[in-house]
Amino acid sequence: MHPGVTPLVEVDDVHVHFGRSRAVDGASLRMFAGEVLALVGESGSGKTTLIRAIQGLQRTTAGAIRLEGRPMNATTRRAVQTLFSDPAVQMVFQDPTGALNPRQTIYEIVAEGLRIGRHGKDEREKVAEALSRAGLRPPERFLTMYPHEISGGQRQRVVIAGAMVMEPRLLLADEPVASLDASIRGEILALMRRLVDETGLAILVVTHDLGLAWNIADRVAVMYLGRIVETGPTEAILSDPKHPYTRALLSVVPETREMEQQILIGEIPDSARIPGGCRFHPRCPLLQSGTLPPEVAARCPTDDPGPVAGDLAAGAACWAVPPG
Amino acid sequence: MSEPLLSVRDLHITYATHDGSRVPAVRGVSFEIDAGGSMGLAGESGCGKSTLANSLLRLLPVGTEVTGEVVLGGKNVLSLNPGGLRAVRWTSGAIVFQGALHALNPVQAVGRQIAEPMLVHDTASSEQAARRRTVELLGRVGLPGARADSYPHELSGGQRQRVLIAMALACDPLLLIADEPTTALDLMVQAQVLALLDELKQERNLTLLFITHDLSVLTYACQRLAIMYAGRIVEEGPSWEVFGEAAHPYTRGLAAAFPTIGDLSSRMAPAGLAGDPPTPGNLPQGCPFNPRCPLAQDGCRDAEPELRIAGPERRAACILV
Repeated sequence: MHPGVTPLVEVDDVHVHFGRSRAVDGASLRMFAGEVLALVGESGSGKTTLIRAIQGLQRTTAGAIRLEGRPMNATTRRAVQTLFSDPAVQMVFQDPTGALNPRQTIYEIVAEGLRIGRHGKDEREKVAEALSRAGLRPPERFLTMYPHEISGGQRQRVVIAGAMVMEPRLLLADEPVASLDASIRGEILALMRRLVDETGLAILVVTHDLGLAWNIADRVAVMYLGRIVETGPTEAILSDPKHPYTRALLSVVPETREMEQQILIGEIPDSARIPGGCRFHPRCPLLQSGTLPPEVAARCPTDDPGPVAGDLAAGAACWAVPPG
Repeated sequence: MSEPLLSVRDLHITYATHDGSRVPAVRGVSFEIDAGGSMGLAGESGCGKSTLANSLLRLLPVGTEVTGEVVLGGKNVLSLNPGGLRAVRWTSGAIVFQGALHALNPVQAVGRQIAEPMLVHDTASSEQAARRRTVELLGRVGLPGARADSYPHELSGGQRQRVLIAMALACDPLLLIADEPTTALDLMVQAQVLALLDELKQERNLTLLFITHDLSVLTYACQRLAIMYAGRIVEEGPSWEVFGEAAHPYTRGLAAAFPTIGDLSSRMAPAGLAGDPPTPGNLPQGCPFNPRCPLAQDGCRDAEPELRIAGPERRAACILV
C-alpha cells in the first residue's frame, strides 16, 4: 500500500504491564502521514494506555515504538521525560474545559508549548496562524480572551490550536468530541479531517464512537483486553466486520437499527485476569450460538489466536475467521 | 385512547441570578405523555431540558419562578403542599440522574441508599423487608444481591448506573425520568442500560421521559421525540419520523450530526451546526434559531413562530412548515 515509505509510527508488539495487570498485551500498528486511524474499544481495553505509551507519557514493559524510524518508547523515567517534549507528537484531550487554564489568555495557552520547548521565534505569528488554522478567525479577536469567554466548541479549537502550533506530525486525540454537544461535534471532526488533508498530519483518534470513525477515519483498529483484535479500512470494518466483537459493537450503535442487536453480557474482564485461549471467548456470541464447527469451537477456550499483524493488511484475531 | 399520565401546560421557568437579573430557561412548554408511553427530549446544552426535567418533581433551586401546570397522575405538582409533594416524589415520579458517581453518597453502601426511599415513604414495613426488596431490585437490574454491601467506588460506571435505576424503582413509580442516563457510558454498557430500561418499561408499564443530547439514542429508546431550542419545544412527533424526516431546520441539523454508518453521504463528511445556541437571557429577535438557520429569510426575524401542525401527530415551530 505504501511501498518504500517509512511509516510515521510503528508500534511493534508493545506491552504495558502494571504489576499483574496487562493493560496493553502485545499491540501492533502502523500509521502513515496524512491518515486518520480510529482506535476503538470499550473502557478497559487499554486504548488510552497505548496512546499514552506512544506519547511517551507511559513506560512500556516490552516491544518497540518508532516514530519515522527512530526508537521512541521509553523504558526509563528519564527517557519518558525526553520523549514527552518531542514536538512531533501532540495530544488533544477529551474535555476542553478541563484542559485549559482558566487564568491564562488564549494567547498564553496556545504559546505555552512554544515557550516550554524554546521554539519561541516568531511566537506571535505562529500563535495567530495556529488559531486561524483551527478555525478561530480572525485570530486577533481571540488573543486576549479567557477560556470562560468562549463557547465549548471554540475551547476545543483552542486546544487543537495549542497542539498545531508545535507543527506536529502526529496528533493523538482521546475522545476529542465525547464531551461536546452533537451540533459542535461535526464541526470539530471536519476541522480534524481538514488538518490531515491540508498538512499531511496523521491523527490517531481513540473513541468508542463508531460514527466518528465513519465520519473521518481511513482505517479502524478494534482493541479488546490489551490487543488489537481486528483492523482494516473503515468501509470494510464498518460494513462487513469479521471479528464477533466488532460485529457486536457495531450492532449496538443506535443508527444501525436493521442489524440484530448482540448485547454482550457483563463488562470487559479485569486485565489482571485475562482469560486463556481466545481472550474474548467467555463473552463471544458466536461461540455461545453453538453454530461453530466443533473443531473451531474446541480451540476457542484453549488456543490463543494471537494478535493481528501490525501491517496494513486487514485481519481479525478469531479462529472462526479464515485468514486472508 | 389512554389518559395522559403526565401533562405539562404552558410551563415557564425563570431563574433568579446573584446579580438580581432574571434568566428565562423554559419559555412556554406544553406536552403530554400517555400512561405507558415514552418520550425523548433532546437539545443542546443550555436549551432548558434538564431544568424542565427537574421542575416536574419541583427540584429546582429556591427562588426559581415556575408558572403553568404540571399534572402528574392527576395531581398538580406545582400547587402541592410539602406533604403532598413528598408523596409524589419517588412514588409517582422518580429521576435517574446523570453522572452516576456524583448522584450516589460515596460513604454509604449502595444497598442502604436504595432502601432509603422505601423506608422514608413507608413502602417497606421494616428494615428487613427493605433489605429483601433491595436485593430483589439489584437482581432485576442485573447485579448480584451481594453488591448491596458495596460502596460506589467499588462499582464500574455501568454498575453505578444500574444502582441508580434500582433506586428509582424502589417505590414503584409510574413515571421514570432519565436525565442523560447513558452519556458517560461505553457503547456496550449503554446498550445494556437501554435494553434494561426497555424491559422494565414493558414489565411495569412504566411511563418514560428520557432526556439527552444524543438524538440517536432517543430515537431508538422512545416512541415520541420533542426537540428543545432556547427554552421551547420546536418540534415534536413520532421518533423515527422526527429523526428521519425532520420538519424543523434545527432538528435536521441536529440529526445530521449522527451519521448513519454505511450511508456514503456522511462518509468523510462530518456534519454539524455552525454557531452556538443563544444565551437564555439574550435571545435573538424573531425565531431564536434564525442566526444559525441555513434557510433563514426576512420573515424569520419578525416574530417567534408558534408550534403548528406538521403532519399526523406532528408539530413544528417554523414559518416554512
